Amino acid sequence: MSVNMAVDLGGIAMRNPVNTASGTFGNGVQFEGFYDVGATLGAITCKGVAAQPWDGNPAPRLAELPSAIMNSVGLQNPGVAGFVERYGAYLQGLRERGCAVICQIAGHSLEEYARATELFEELAPWASGFEVNISCPNIAAGGAAMGATPAAAAEVMRTVRPLTSRPVLVKMAPHDVAEIGRALQAEGADALSLINTIPAMALDVRTRRSRLARPTAGLSGPAIHAIAVRMVWECAQAVDLPLCGIGGIASWEDAAEMILAGATAVSVGTANLTDPLAAAHVAEGLERWAAEQGVDSITELVGAAEL
Amino acid sequence: MQDDVRPALHEFVVKVNEPVAQDTYRLLIEAPELARTIAAGQFMNLQVPGDASHILRIPLSFSCADAAAGTVELVYAVVGEGTARLAAMAPGQRSTLTGPSGTGWRVPEQPGRVLLVAGGVGLPPVIAAARMLAAAGVGFDAVVGARDAAHLYERGVDELRGMAPDQLCDCARRVLVTTDDGSAGIRGFVTQAVEPLLAERTYVQLMACGPAPMLRGVAELADAAQLPCQVSLERLMGCGFGACSCCNVELAAGGYALCCQDGPVFDAKEVVL
Ligand SMILES: Cc1cc2nc3c(=O)[nH]c(=O)nc-3n(C[C@H](O)[C@H](O)[C@H](O)COP(=O)(O)OP(=O)(O)OC[C@H]3O[C@@H](n4cnc5c(N)ncnc54)[C@H](O)[C@@H]3O)c2cc1C
Ligand SMILES: Cc1cc2nc3c(=O)[nH]c(=O)nc-3n(C[C@H](O)[C@H](O)[C@H](O)COP(=O)(O)O)c2cc1C
Ligand code: FES
Repeated sequence: MSVNMAVDLGGIAMRNPVNTASGTFGNGVQFEGFYDVGATLGAITCKGVAAQPWDGNPAPRLAELPSAIMNSVGLQNPGVAGFVERYGAYLQGLRERGCAVICQIAGHSLEEYARATELFEELAPWASGFEVNISCPNIAAGGAAMGATPAAAAEVMRTVRPLTSRPVLVKMAPHDVAEIGRALQAEGADALSLINTIPAMALDVRTRRSRLARPTAGLSGPAIHAIAVRMVWECAQAVDLPLCGIGGIASWEDAAEMILAGATAVSVGTANLTDPLAAAHVAEGLERWAAEQGVDSITELVGAAEL
Repeated sequence: MQDDVRPALHEFVVKVNEPVAQDTYRLLIEAPELARTIAAGQFMNLQVPGDASHILRIPLSFSCADAAAGTVELVYAVVGEGTARLAAMAPGQRSTLTGPSGTGWRVPEQPGRVLLVAGGVGLPPVIAAARMLAAAGVGFDAVVGARDAAHLYERGVDELRGMAPDQLCDCARRVLVTTDDGSAGIRGFVTQAVEPLLAERTYVQLMACGPAPMLRGVAELADAAQLPCQVSLERLMGCGFGACSCCNVELAAGGYALCCQDGPVFDAKEVVL
């Protein structure tokens, strides 16, 4: 007996619920030496890309903590045109191999989000849909996240929504997920991805300096998993949209937990760095789990936690 | 940028893991496919078992890949928790690694002798470079720096002395040792041995690996002598194969390259050391 593993993430058809978290999976091609990405995953989410290239933050951008890492990459990206030139052919092929391709949109201002969306519309006809990263620093507001409040998040969504008819997901920061989720739903978001990294701080007590080049950076990995599950569950109570659960997923059990908490799909992030085969193993394990649970379709398990 | 670098996941078996100098170990692993495919200056990312709360792999260069025997030789310093766990791995133990990663050394296009410079555990990739040059019939001299005699990987120095003699030049190879305290070889930093060599003998290029201040010093000397200089850099690494952008290296022209993909070997002039 085989379980139907296909899911619909806000209009993005996925052969199985397994996606990859932006910034942790390159743009897919880096993993082709490890496994057949196109034949294995439901989707990949590409690195955040802006209208123009961004340099990102200085080194060091990384620190390792118990069961976690912190990063301050700062969205280094080659701009939409550079991204499409370098990865377009590969990503189009990936789509043809049956793996959905989600392009992530970054911006420092509403104008930049709009411009990036227009460029993607023009240059990336192969994209299955878009994910708007509302955690980008707002230059005009001194670097606070663009979508830090329900009103600000709604404004980003209002900017992007009219510019594309393809599915638009929003990548949410780890706070106020119920309120911000409702605001995004009202503005026509097709699905929500959560959570992004958790702002954190790590000091070298000898030098008294941050262990990274920035005072604070984003925490990710197994240590944040239980927080992410709780936020997915809270958001699922608040909105009527499919969710992509992200945060510390390193095994199929972690992914199954997200699904039970209300996620239609899951993204593997930091675990791709620890074990490049992690997302492939999650896909296999979820299928076995669904069969054991005796369902015909994995969708029957979405939000099926008995609390 | 080299998007054609496609590391794979390899299982390896520890054959030898022995102390060879203070806090320094020589690790011989069996990993036949890696031994066949890895090029001088490239590196691998090892998973060291024993502590699941350390989620990152350990990036290490290699000194010798023996395709016929299916083995790869690494030399590493114990500097923290991960390398201490690595030192505790016994022959027969298995784990996985990803590789080959990155862009390695390039044999100079113009004929002539190369000056190799190694500091501390910058020595293993320099030994690999020497093997590459010897195989290509390119002559070299070398300067090897260590903190003191106890930390010097002497077997590596002997290997550099013993490699096939230069084919294009009949003058003897010079392999000089420097130590910070003078307990072996010349007292001082490698740059103190590099400067007179550059004045005395003719080179077409330098290749260097070691701590950042050393690389800055060597690159300045190369620049003053108007010679190209390849440097192998180290960064903390998230993935080791271009997926996370955590290992940035500042470019002289502005912006960043990725150490694990565009490097670890760079043209010294292209990067901010
Ligand atoms: C491409 C590359 C090749 C390398 N080749 C060799 C080699 O052939 N032999 C060898 O002994 N070492 C090599 N290193 C360095 C080696 O990776 C680190 O020493 C190791 O990861 C430290 O792990 P740890 O858990 O023991 O140390 P930690 O407990 O994590 O840290 C201890 C100390 O080591 C430093 N450190 C940690 N990670 C790195 C790193 N990636 N690069 C430089 N310093 C680091 C930390 O800043 C700290 O001061 C290489 C590094 C890179 C990036
Ligand atoms: C190195 C690194 C780079 C990241 N880059 C992005 C990015 O460009 N856009 C984004 O929305 N999230 C980015 N993230 C956050 C991840 O997509 C994910 O939300 C977060 O890491 C939590 O999941 P995890 O614990 O499974 O890694 C990045 C995370 C890491 C570790
Ligand atoms: S370590 Fe991940 S991109 Fe270099």
